[in-house]
Amino acid sequence: MTDLELLKNRVVLESDRVYSVSSMDVPGTYPGVDDTWDIERFKKTFKVVISELTKGNIEFDLIGIDASIANAFRRILIAEVPSMAIEDVFILNNTSIMHDEVLAHRLGLIPIKADPNDFSFRWETAQKNGNTQGPTDADTIVFKLQVKCTNKKGAPKDDSLEPSELYDNSSVYSGQMIWSPQGRQEEFFKNSPPRPVYDDILITKLRPNQEIDLELHCVKGIGKDHAKFSPVATASYRLLPDIIITKPILGKDAEKFQKCFPEGVVEVFVNKDGEKEARVVNPRKDTVSRECLRHAEFKDKVKLTRVRDHFIFNVESVGAIPPQRLLPDAVKVLIEKCKVLKRSLAQINQAN
Amino acid sequence: MNIDGNENEAKLKILSSSSDEGCATFSISEEDHTLANALRYMIMKNPKVEYCGYSIPHPTEAKVNIRVQTSEETTAVEAMNKGLDDLIELCEHILVEYNEKLDLKNYKYDEGVFDTENKA
Amino acid sequence: MSSQFYGDLRTQSPQRITYICGDCGVENEIRAKEPIRCRDCGHRIMYKKRTKRMVQFEAR
Repeated sequence: MTDLELLKNRVVLESDRVYSVSSMDVPGTYPGVDDTWDIERFKKTFKVVISELTKGNIEFDLIGIDASIANAFRRILIAEVPSMAIEDVFILNNTSIMHDEVLAHRLGLIPIKADPNDFSFRWETAQKNGNTQGPTDADTIVFKLQVKCTNKKGAPKDDSLEPSELYDNSSVYSGQMIWSPQGRQEEFFKNSPPRPVYDDILITKLRPNQEIDLELHCVKGIGKDHAKFSPVATASYRLLPDIIITKPILGKDAEKFQKCFPEGVVEVFVNKDGEKEARVVNPRKDTVSRECLRHAEFKDKVKLTRVRDHFIFNVESVGAIPPQRLLPDAVKVLIEKCKVLKRSLAQINQAN
Repeated sequence: MNIDGNENEAKLKILSSSSDEGCATFSISEEDHTLANALRYMIMKNPKVEYCGYSIPHPTEAKVNIRVQTSEETTAVEAMNKGLDDLIELCEHILVEYNEKLDLKNYKYDEGVFDTENKA
Repeated sequence: MSSQFYGDLRTQSPQRITYICGDCGVENEIRAKEPIRCRDCGHRIMYKKRTKRMVQFEAR
């Protein structure tokens, strides 16, 4: 690879510094190269490759976009894709050891399996109805949590037994939250009632004669406001590593070289001269630890780089939104932001 | 989408109005690096734009200033509009491409992942 | 002014408020001007029961 190609497409990692980091695809940087925005050219070079999709996780590649766009998606996934979470806790009785506010805080963090697209934001319904209404069926899900702890009938008075054997309801789990349908919700959510994503989240513990009697209101919100609204456990990306062997690495060095990388990245084969030689087979698995640059035998024979426009995203969903729907939701949020700006710009233009 | 719902602050303001239509500083409220960096990139892709940069005047205030300076061929407002259009175009194509690849199902996936799919 | 609103309340509500003993947790009825002492264990520190009113919290 020529030096120019390296600077244009790769982020280069050396043992003591990283260079060629910023993207230089601005029109006019390279003579003879047209970097102007062209949707047709973009459509030809842009690729999406989906590697894996599990119930909670998706790994996909976005190839051919700039870091600013990829980062925008990452930031939106974490902070601006809306989801539902408990916001108001009405405590009618709480005689447990856990303080009201601590209990309320824990309840807020419980993920709720409800599609945020079926609901509107509190401020949206307020705008429509003139800022006077309280919670409506279009913006609030109501749960009831009523648990009382009692002594188990016929349990021996043995202190060494587990609380679950001695008492009923000694632990309160998220599965004990009961949805209380409001207005049109009963009909609308007949087939997919809102419920906590996981039933086995321990909320609090009780002992006999302690009880909690709560009404919980869930609303739609975004992660920017409070982390409980973030639909992703985390969303991150890394750039695809590219290991370039500039001079052949042979014999014992080849085996040592292979050990510097995670399994499967480098393989040792027998070349046409009958010698062992190292070659890179799966750079994707590499974690770019730069271990090979620590050894004098081959640190000048290899260039560690990353492909600047190849982003490997790993998005883990909390459970409320299926992982494959997270990126489309994030892209739609970015489109909406642009549209809002366009409208404001048009308003200013009109005013002038 | 204003999370505080405050209609007091205009979304977009143009600071530094000069007689030269080729330069302008746009002040956008309730935004941060998410939109600003992406928008800056798209505006720079326009060959008629000589300069585009953004800054955040104070980290605790959600405001972004985007400065655009163009050649005589276009105005700053036009360049901003084109940048927004291009960004929307790019996002819409990403959506199309992603959904196409998702439907191909030529990747490893858990069974039952596509059940209860209401919207794409 | 206050007697208008709370006067009725005072005549309706019983003067008998149950307190919870600090030691044994037994509920005692203590009336005004009565020495404060638990019925069973004689402990002299009583706790008031939690209010029956609903309280609202933000889950933040």
